[in-house]
Amino acid sequence: MKDVLNELLMEDKTFLRIPFGDGTIDIFKSVVITWGVTVFLLILMLFLTRDFRVHNISKRQAAVESFVIWIRNMTGDMLGEEAIKYADYMATVLIFITFSNMVGLFGFTPATMDLNVTIALAVMSIILVEAAGFRKKGVKNWFKGFAQPMAVIAPMNVLEIVIKPLSLCMRLFGNVLGATVIMELIKCVLPFILPALFSVYFDIFDGAIQAYVFVFLTSLYIKEAVE
Amino acid sequence: MLTISVTNIVCIIINLLIIYFLTKKFLFGRVDAILAQRREEVESATKQAEAAKQEALDAKKDYEDKIAHVDEEKEQILADIKKQGYAEYERIVGDARKKGDQIIVEAKHNAEVENERAKEVYAAQLTDMVIDAASKIAATKHSAADDKELYDKFINEAGANNE
Repeated sequence: MKDVLNELLMEDKTFLRIPFGDGTIDIFKSVVITWGVTVFLLILMLFLTRDFRVHNISKRQAAVESFVIWIRNMTGDMLGEEAIKYADYMATVLIFITFSNMVGLFGFTPATMDLNVTIALAVMSIILVEAAGFRKKGVKNWFKGFAQPMAVIAPMNVLEIVIKPLSLCMRLFGNVLGATVIMELIKCVLPFILPALFSVYFDIFDGAIQAYVFVFLTSLYIKEAVE
Repeated sequence: MLTISVTNIVCIIINLLIIYFLTKKFLFGRVDAILAQRREEVESATKQAEAAKQEALDAKKDYEDKIAHVDEEKEQILADIKKQGYAEYERIVGDARKKGDQIIVEAKHNAEVENERAKEVYAAQLTDMVIDAASKIAATKHSAADDKELYDKFINEAGANNE
């Protein structure tokens, strides 16, 4: 069991080692997996949205349309009216994280199990949150916002800039890591039937839930920032 | 596992942005285009329906006006006809009256003429009688008393004839 965990946690993540200057640049497996997810999503979107029509729509088109409306409503509701313009980005993140979590179904390591991916997502989130606040309030009010509701807690508010993305990235990372470790352990206990059953929960359900939580919290921060 | 590499983070961020633009273009963009097109169509259809409704209302108003006018016209025609009828009636009655008057006048005239003729006949008879009487007197020898008797008789006869 220890071997399994060691293999999982301590494995070399490097996929490509590109010579650069005196040293090398390591491209991690997770990055390659996100490329794979990108290509897969692109092909899926191109396939799903080809020859769209206004009338006599196919079932495929109806499904895609209702999906888009549904996911937009979901992220839009979370963001509130003021920040509705970020709904498309949040929907994209939701789709991306969900698919990244689900690659475990195909035998890959989930991209979100790499801390670098979750850090990247969290950095994007905090940039978006602060940018939204900045755009909405302007420079002066944005700085004033740190002293809200009173000046005493200004340090806390400043710390939040770090804490928010940290909690986001660690939550996602930890959940996916935990789910993958448990899946590996289950595979050790019984290599057939049981992993399939638990995979439904850990790879599909938990993956979607974690994606939703990430998007929900980011949306909440943005909503707070623009209020 | 826990190695953090800025290069890889940047790679992921770039990747994320690429996915965002792809999604925006191919998923949301396309669906939005269709939805916008559909909305436009619905709006234009609504507008057309509105226009058609307005047109129908206009036509209806037009016809209602016409119908109201028809009633008026009908009354007008009826009034005209009544007027004409009265005029005709007046004319006929007037004619009849005139004719009646004429007939009366003619009848009076006829009566007068008849009267004249009767008088002439009577005068002729009288003349005959006078001549007869005169010839009788001339034929017979007579006294004053006879004469007187004759005159009386004659006068009586004439009076009886005259009545």
